[in-house]
Amino acid sequence: MSWLLATLRSSVGKKFVMGGTGLFLCFFLVVHLAGNLLLYAGPDAYNSYANKLHENVALLIVAEIGLFGAMLLHIYLAFVTASENRAARGATDYAMRQSKIPGRVIHVAGLAPDTTMYITGALIFGYIALHLCDFKFEVFADAAQLAADPYTKAAMVLSSTSRKVIYAIAAIVVGIHVSHGFASAFQSLGLNHPKYMPTIKTISKVFGVAVAIGFGSFVTWDGQRRCGCESPATMETAPTTMPSTAPAAATESAPAPTTPAETVPQS
Amino acid sequence: MSHSTTGKTLNLKLRVWRQKDNASRGEFRDYALVGISTEMSFLEMLDILNEQLLQQGEEPVNFDHDCREGICGTCSLMINGQAHGPDNGTTTCQLHMRRFHDGQMITIEPWRAKAFPVIRDLVVDRSAFDRIIQAGGYVSVRTGQAPEANSVPISKNDQESALDAAVCIGCGACVASCKNASAMLFVAAKVSHLAQLPQGAPERAARVLGMVGQMDSEEFGNCTNTSECEAACPAGVSVTHIARLNREYAKALYGSPLGLKGELLTSSGTGGD
Repeated sequence: MSWLLATLRSSVGKKFVMGGTGLFLCFFLVVHLAGNLLLYAGPDAYNSYANKLHENVALLIVAEIGLFGAMLLHIYLAFVTASENRAARGATDYAMRQSKIPGRVIHVAGLAPDTTMYITGALIFGYIALHLCDFKFEVFADAAQLAADPYTKAAMVLSSTSRKVIYAIAAIVVGIHVSHGFASAFQSLGLNHPKYMPTIKTISKVFGVAVAIGFGSFVTWDGQRRCGCESPATMETAPTTMPSTAPAAATESAPAPTTPAETVPQS
Repeated sequence: MSHSTTGKTLNLKLRVWRQKDNASRGEFRDYALVGISTEMSFLEMLDILNEQLLQQGEEPVNFDHDCREGICGTCSLMINGQAHGPDNGTTTCQLHMRRFHDGQMITIEPWRAKAFPVIRDLVVDRSAFDRIIQAGGYVSVRTGQAPEANSVPISKNDQESALDAAVCIGCGACVASCKNASAMLFVAAKVSHLAQLPQGAPERAARVLGMVGQMDSEEFGNCTNTSECEAACPAGVSVTHIARLNREYAKALYGSPLGLKGELLTSSGTGGD
């Protein structure tokens, strides 16, 4: 098992784990975005997808263990390597630093995606905690939201202005993080070839933009209007808010927010 | 004050790191230089500074230099925050004063890394690199006299790529320019050089495990693929070699008896005797 320890202790081994878990989490982002895009296909498509996903309990448990495991390893190694990297500079830092990379054009005040992975990663961690509280653990949900079907739930969460702002910023930050992370993982895993590396780097940047726009777009999604939870009230407000406004607009395609998820037609 | 761009001489303000020894605290000290020719190399400009300091009865600025033609890897210096100064693919000794303008302030610092302790002023101890090479950066068979050139066939691609890695002069600019003070480009250059040649192939697993183990115990940082090392490298060693180092490490760790037994992974000695 010493090779396993070496994987977690040696500098190169740590980058294998960092890159491997990072790519796995990128794969999750693709699946997650694909699923979320069904919100645009309407309540029926989205609810049937969500319900089918949650029916398969075994798959869900395995996937969640995998995702949390990958996330924890990724974060643990981020802390370890970041503290080692800070220490490696020594007691005195440079008074002046300038990049010598001629093409380093994407930067804000000298901050580029690849030099701010720790910061964007920390922001993403904070966001994931909130996102899980919103959708998985439903910490802030009122009775109406708890009883709502997945489509309406998403609309209710995203009806809050605070969530709109946070989710939009998070989408951009995740995009910045993966725009370096995706290509970097290939390099760390040794999957580098002079012919393919430029393509991988381009894909990485396109992926970052796609993630930012894709996830960010749900902030402007009109599901709130469709399901009738357009109320400016935030989710923390009294539970009476939702039912009072819901029936008025529930006549369109969306089911009433109070419909239990189980009754959504499936097939 | 003239700011002529075609003038043949420069008046400069230097901000130089002065540090008596490793135990002392260092500080920047400002010096003024007048009438520096644009034809001078950067190190010649420092020679002028030191003559001036000697005349004033001050201790001259200590800096590393040797061949002064860009092949020995002895000179260093962080010049205005850039390893070996503003030019790509050159060492400090090849940098000329025509790259600077009249009245410019030039900040000169030593390489800064925990593994490169300052000895004095701008001179740092780079023997951590020597210990990494001792941990496997060589071919240990006796080769005798040079063999007939065509007796060991090496493909054109492998030969070119191996020599592209072999050009590393071991100056430490990669460590200096890396935001993590990582020595990955240096280690990658040697591992990649020897792994692509038949002479280096038999010891490739022990080499990469030993050298990475030594690099880690010297407390260099980890690679985050920002490629600053590649841009700062005066010999133009590409980060492609870092990917090959990573491949070599994976093959050695998961596919060789040495790696699976966990030998050579963290020791500070060369081990394996």
